[in-house]
Amino acid sequence: MIKLERISKGFPGVKSLDDVDFEASAGEIHALLGENGAGKSTLIKTIAGVYIADNGVIYFDGKKCRWSSPKQAKDSGIHVIYQELMLFPELSIAENIFVGSAPLTRLGTINYRLMYERADEILNKLGHKLDPKSLIKDLSIADQQMVEIAKSLVGDVKLLVLDEPTAVISGRESEILFDRMKILRNEGICIIYISHRLEEIFSIADRVTVLKDGKFVGCHKVKELSHDLLVGMMVGRELSDIFPKKKFPSFEAAPVLTVRNLLALPKVKDVSFDLYAGEILGLAGLVGAGRSEVAHAVFGSTTRSDGAVTLGGVPLDVPSPRESIDQGLGFLTEDRKGEGLMMLLDASVNITAPMLSEFTTIIGLDRSREKQAAEDEIRRYRIAVPYPGFDVNKLSGGNQQKILFGRWTRACRRVLILDEPTRGVDVGAKVEIYEIIRKLADEGLGILVISSDLPEIVGLCTRVLVMREGQITGEVNGTDINEELIMKYATAAKKAPSVSVT
Amino acid sequence: MDLSRIGYFVRRFSLDPSLIIVIVLLVVVVTAGFLLSDRFGTMRNFMNVLEQASGLGYASIGQALVVIVGGIDLSIGSVVTASTVLMAAVVNVHPALMIPMIFGTLFFGVVIGFVNGYVTIKTGVHPLIVTLGTASILNGTVLIYTLQPTGSVPYWFEEFSYGRIGNVPISGIVMLICFLLVWVFLRYFQAGRALYAVGGNPEAAHLSGIRSNRVILFAYSASGFFAALAGAYFVSRTGVGDPRVGDPITLASITPVILGGLILGGGKGNILGVCLGVILISLLSNLLNYMNVSTFIQWVIQGLIIIVAVSVYVHKGKKL
Repeated sequence: MIKLERISKGFPGVKSLDDVDFEASAGEIHALLGENGAGKSTLIKTIAGVYIADNGVIYFDGKKCRWSSPKQAKDSGIHVIYQELMLFPELSIAENIFVGSAPLTRLGTINYRLMYERADEILNKLGHKLDPKSLIKDLSIADQQMVEIAKSLVGDVKLLVLDEPTAVISGRESEILFDRMKILRNEGICIIYISHRLEEIFSIADRVTVLKDGKFVGCHKVKELSHDLLVGMMVGRELSDIFPKKKFPSFEAAPVLTVRNLLALPKVKDVSFDLYAGEILGLAGLVGAGRSEVAHAVFGSTTRSDGAVTLGGVPLDVPSPRESIDQGLGFLTEDRKGEGLMMLLDASVNITAPMLSEFTTIIGLDRSREKQAAEDEIRRYRIAVPYPGFDVNKLSGGNQQKILFGRWTRACRRVLILDEPTRGVDVGAKVEIYEIIRKLADEGLGILVISSDLPEIVGLCTRVLVMREGQITGEVNGTDINEELIMKYATAAKKAPSVSVT
Repeated sequence: MDLSRIGYFVRRFSLDPSLIIVIVLLVVVVTAGFLLSDRFGTMRNFMNVLEQASGLGYASIGQALVVIVGGIDLSIGSVVTASTVLMAAVVNVHPALMIPMIFGTLFFGVVIGFVNGYVTIKTGVHPLIVTLGTASILNGTVLIYTLQPTGSVPYWFEEFSYGRIGNVPISGIVMLICFLLVWVFLRYFQAGRALYAVGGNPEAAHLSGIRSNRVILFAYSASGFFAALAGAYFVSRTGVGDPRVGDPITLASITPVILGGLILGGGKGNILGVCLGVILISLLSNLLNYMNVSTFIQWVIQGLIIIVAVSVYVHKGKKL
């Protein structure tokens, strides 16, 4: 169905795809596997006509193709469903499915009756029961994904690409999604499925292609592969090389952070835990389980309804970020661009933001000392920034993240909360960040790591708390830490799963 | 001169790149002035322009502070108007209150600005709407009180606009000092830095321990203050409180902000660019007056310059 030969695509400073071959046929589910930064997104964007390859040839449906716009690719039957869904929240399901191609009446107005009928037909074909008149904003993310898939069925779709659809939905919803995918496969549609969850690959995919650092590693029938073999292909090295050696903290001293009966509705319902100096404590769970919300409630950036928090033995009552920072708490947020960096400002300003008082004299800011401090952090974390006055929006994700590490390690004396510390950074930067985290813990900080990347939690933490629906449902220690056990607590004994739209 | 050379000079003299466009436009206008008019290129004329520019200058400083913090203030013109009427009307009845009323008027401006900021924060309504509402309330109130220019002030107050130290107009000196102080504040003080942080990313600023609400309140209050200062300047110039004087000021105050390279939406920009923008606009209208170009055509030209300048900024931004 689709065949890519020797595709290369570079961006200033990086080679995202380097001589990659890829091939998928009609009526199969083909998994595309690789770590963050492996080139999966670039590959599908090349297929979708968003990027134009620097080199290489694409054959689609037997013909040599060179798309210069996403529309051309779409017109030839390629439909990509990105993680950020392209839906209009205020419009109905039917209106979304038929956006731009609504059936018309003889007068040229939209024929709503026919539109609802046909939307219903398409949803039935998917085996998914939804009222075509309901608004997108009232649907769960999983149902919204179904609408995206339904959208693709309006045209003559031959190739359907799903970009990590299960990252944002629950386990049971994933099962439903897989069922629908199988229906489409049996109709002869070629499905490219991107994920880094190995269990899913084994349960749904027919074949798998692995990318690493922009290069093709291999393509195999899933039946012929073992779990370990696949991990080896994906990572390209032993897990022990990626993560620094674990060290257990002393649990004899009093915990540096205690949280008791923390309540911050609607997402956080009664959370209690301790964090010790020198410890790297993981907080795992599905997206939407309330992990980030716990961090915000502790840090004081959202108000907590109830609960007691102490930091270094001192109560931290209903604080604001300012007070938390002054007490020695740091919070590296999940959304680097939305909540972390001031993208219009330079590296130096971003590093010193929480601790400007350090450089304040009677006659104003001592800018040379501030610059010096920023330079120290830049050198310490080997941040690839030409000079401290360089704008952060021109840096790569990994370097932006290291800027934030520079900021918070400077500001923070007791506890550092890291929310998705390696999201969207490449493997090399990941390894560096893991080393930084280990070193900070060795220097005596208590570190709470929130991550959806299970191998990261497993590789980094000496103790893991698992959250589900606003509560801690399990704690895993030392050598017991493994992905299966964490997933069990994260999904266990669940009534009808509800996933919020946020 | 090719572009790479310009880039070289920018780095060599560590010039702020956002100032380039306004400087280039200034050079163009001044050169054109020397070529097209014999009266334009005299020291006397430049001093007059400086004197006339200050009303717009004060208003633009306030607008710039609000824009940096990510807002916009559409009540500036109405605060100017209300300030002139308030000052002239009170002093007309009690001439002895002239000096207290200078401070009283400035305080009035701060209060209005504070209210703008407070309502914006508390309701979450876009500042465009809040300040438009304030503008309407103030303008309406003033026009209920008087339809004609009203009141009077003592003669000596005229010195604030027409007075000269040597050859240099006092109002121009005060304006330049204001710009300089604001520049130092923005660049060398923690609170000034906070303005950029909040404007660039309010959420990140909050999570970095910056008290965003105070910063926003400060910016709007400062805007009110500078609008009232502009009001005082107009009273000094005309000797009366004029219920129409501020009408063109609101939009006029945005023009130098844009020309100076500030980003509407906040978080970036150099206040010196705004100062140059004010001087540019004033020189331009001065030149066009000498050339007997009608006011309406001047509007057309100003509009064209704004659009061209912003297109260049946007284009540059994409390239970077």
